Amino acid sequence: MIGYSRLLTALSKLVKQARADDVSVCAQASTRRVFRFAHEAIHQDLAQESINVTVKVIANHRVGIGSADTLEPESLRRCVRAALEIAKHSPPSSDLPPLPRGHRIRSTAEYVAATARVSPASCVADLKRLFQMCRGVGAQLAGSIIVGEDELAVVNSSATACYASSTIAGAKLVTMYRKLSGFASGVHRDIAQLSLDGLLKRSLSQSLHRLEPVTLPLGTYEVILEPEAVAELMEWLGSIAFGAKSVEKRTSFLAGQMGEQLMDRQVTILDHGNQPGSLRLPFDFEGTPKQKVILIDRGKAAGIVYDSLYGQRFGRASTGHAVSPDDVEGPMPLHLAMVPGRSAAAQMVRACRRGLLIPRFHYVNGLLNPRTALMTGLTREGTFLIEDGKLVAPVATMRFTQSITEAFSRVAAVSKERRLVADPNTGLGCALTPTVHLKRFHFTGRSES
Amino acid sequence: MIPWRRVGARRRPRRPVTSGDVYGMIAHMAAPAVPRDLVARLVRDLKRRGVDYADVRYEHLLHESLLVEQGRVSSVSLHESAGIGIRVLLNGSWGFASTPHLIPAHLKRAVTQAIGLAKASASVNKRPRPLASVEPAHGVHRSRWTIDPFEVPLSKKLDYLLWANTSLLGPEAVTQATSHMDFYKRRKLFCSTEAAQVEQLLIESGAGLEVVARHGNEVQSRSFPNSHNGALAQAGFEYVKQLDLVGGAKTAQTEVLQLLRAHPPRPGQTTVILDPTQVVMQLHESCGHPTELDRALGQELSYAGGSFLQPECLGTLRYGSPAVTIVADATIPGGVGSFAVDDEGVPAQRVELVRKGVFVGYLSSRESAARLGLAASGGAMRAEGWDVPPIIRMTNVNLEPGEATLSQLLHGVRRGYLLSTNKSWSIDDKRMNFQFTTEIGWEIEDGKLGAIVKNPLYTGITPKFWGRCTGVGRREDWRLWGIPNCAKGEPMQLMHVGHGASYARFDGVQVAPAR
Repeated sequence: MIGYSRLLTALSKLVKQARADDVSVCAQASTRRVFRFAHEAIHQDLAQESINVTVKVIANHRVGIGSADTLEPESLRRCVRAALEIAKHSPPSSDLPPLPRGHRIRSTAEYVAATARVSPASCVADLKRLFQMCRGVGAQLAGSIIVGEDELAVVNSSATACYASSTIAGAKLVTMYRKLSGFASGVHRDIAQLSLDGLLKRSLSQSLHRLEPVTLPLGTYEVILEPEAVAELMEWLGSIAFGAKSVEKRTSFLAGQMGEQLMDRQVTILDHGNQPGSLRLPFDFEGTPKQKVILIDRGKAAGIVYDSLYGQRFGRASTGHAVSPDDVEGPMPLHLAMVPGRSAAAQMVRACRRGLLIPRFHYVNGLLNPRTALMTGLTREGTFLIEDGKLVAPVATMRFTQSITEAFSRVAAVSKERRLVADPNTGLGCALTPTVHLKRFHFTGRSES
Repeated sequence: MIPWRRVGARRRPRRPVTSGDVYGMIAHMAAPAVPRDLVARLVRDLKRRGVDYADVRYEHLLHESLLVEQGRVSSVSLHESAGIGIRVLLNGSWGFASTPHLIPAHLKRAVTQAIGLAKASASVNKRPRPLASVEPAHGVHRSRWTIDPFEVPLSKKLDYLLWANTSLLGPEAVTQATSHMDFYKRRKLFCSTEAAQVEQLLIESGAGLEVVARHGNEVQSRSFPNSHNGALAQAGFEYVKQLDLVGGAKTAQTEVLQLLRAHPPRPGQTTVILDPTQVVMQLHESCGHPTELDRALGQELSYAGGSFLQPECLGTLRYGSPAVTIVADATIPGGVGSFAVDDEGVPAQRVELVRKGVFVGYLSSRESAARLGLAASGGAMRAEGWDVPPIIRMTNVNLEPGEATLSQLLHGVRRGYLLSTNKSWSIDDKRMNFQFTTEIGWEIEDGKLGAIVKNPLYTGITPKFWGRCTGVGRREDWRLWGIPNCAKGEPMQLMHVGHGASYARFDGVQVAPAR
């Protein structure tokens, strides 16, 4: 943990050092402790301390970017010199937006000292308890436990100075019993709220069965997608469609479709960096405060996210979705959420005559045809066949190939409960998602054991 | 693993300002001396503190990235990273800590952290963790290059990128033109408590372009020479010059326009010939990953998954047809998976994974090799950088060439498709069921190439698919490619891995249009 004063002082010095028309400096710092385990042993035990400082200079309409993984003054001076040299020798650009002006934010609300203080011995003690619980029921356990701290700071020559600190605690638990596996993951700012025992119980509930997995015919099924599965599809939608760059490129299915009914009325998707219950971050990598953006409003194409460059190109204000200056992806939604429905998740299974309950997907790829959001991926642990409202058998791995806009246009129900889904290894990106019951989902392949 | 997507507004190109030798200066100023004494002191300190084994790895990385979109420079950036990673084995448990601050207080803290983590884990780990023995390596290694890309003037690189980029523009249907270059210079110092001490300097260069075109609701893309930044080699700027981006741009533009009016393939089982760019992805997903021994031993279950290639299959499982021999070769010049020693000091090797269709080897580490009773590590432990521990990674996983020309592979194919340049990829957690789409395909009829097809998709089961390999192309068509973004591990590490391949023909493949 570097701290507000030290980090902003270092960045402010850099802004002053860089003799340019405009300067923006951002720093991302993090610590991580990662325990990875399998078969009654910890095979990786890691403490990581990292920082990345990115300097963007604009001189005579020319841009240069340098970055360095250090706060050491001499390295940062080299970084500034490199950015200035690149700008000096780059061609000028005529559509550079002004830097965000005068934003001053200091956020420490997402920092939980108890998470930051947790000791390796305490994590190992938790893990011993989980191993013991698994031994007690004859199951095997694999997975990871991760704790860490994150800091993001942005300072620019237009009087913007923003700082946010946060903590993260997360776990991924795979349980194995006979021929079945189960999976559960959780993430929270406060390690005390992580509930490892609850996660283990959820994972065991998928694997502690004596049933053999069944192989089903390919074709179209009703599916009930649990929050992790919904989150993966939504994150792909964010990547291929909700950013202004993909709309300008016209590869997004939203391009030319604003206001059109593309999904079921029960589907409302938004990006909201300040939403309670998510991994809140109040500003982006340019120092612009994050705006709530409705992307899909009751099934209609409603909006996309912008940074300052794409905002200017589209004649809009930035929505606070800039990514790191040396990233070329364009603006991205990093705090996706689907608005909850009215159904109880438990009720969905009871309402399904024949279908599949899918806790999560594996290796989804959304690049098949972004214009139709055609994606493929596979089921993994915990997929069950539902018949007459009951879980009747675990299902062997199946592959779907499906347009997600089409799937989300045939929604039977959206749950009122939502879960936060995020990878605790990275400090950015999360999705707050409900369980979704879809009427038709197309399966095109299956695996073999 | 999500590749970059790039776009920009349509603009006519501008000429860059002619520059001086800015990069010579930057390369010089961003190359601090390798801290040999510091690392040696750390190793001595670790020995004094009674660890069973430890290694210390210093790395300094310089990465330059240039991007041109729509005829104008979109981004030029230079990234520098340096730090030390300390890995400790104590009482059968690993501990790893890292720091970018090469000053005594931070280094001392990192040593204490690594030892503390190992001690904490030791209260769970009941079994010893032996390491396969290795002769301590010494020496200095430098990869081969002719022109240091960091000494090439920025203007020269941008001129070339703009020239290639503007060659993609022109037709109204073209909505996006992207060209890029990436250069990496990595210095590494590895020292261990077993007295190993190796310095390496590795330079990589890569470039490519992509064009997107639209007609109505139809959007198609074409890349050259490979998609997903897949033209990367352990070489200097001479590699970029050899790629001939400008010549490739014309072909890419022509093909993307043809794709807008092409038909999709007919669904059904047929013969497929994969060109080397797609064999690369097939090798990567269906051979490289399942032969990683840590996956087979269950250590990746919570993230990437396991493997169908379980230890009891070694030496007996028929992975492919007799035409299929696959090696992991870290000794091959030009491969981005090549080195002198891996990140636990094991010398680079050429390891057979599949010999004439039989699964015979794993990508392995000292620990996993000992656990399986192998004589030695296969030398596949690599870390993305100084801040993460090495894990088992692909080196250069190559399909050994056969003898057939493309004409000979086409000969006798009554109906089928030639597929090129990966577009999407997906495979299950045991690496059995895969599905790929490619940017382009060509019909094959009676041994001859015919019309272009759009949105081709093929799918299969790994050992069945490779078992139906009925021909592999000759060495003259064999080429080494580099993938810069192979994701694995927690925290996720993106590794540069190499794949060499020629054409390969497969019978009875399920093909469909991606729709």
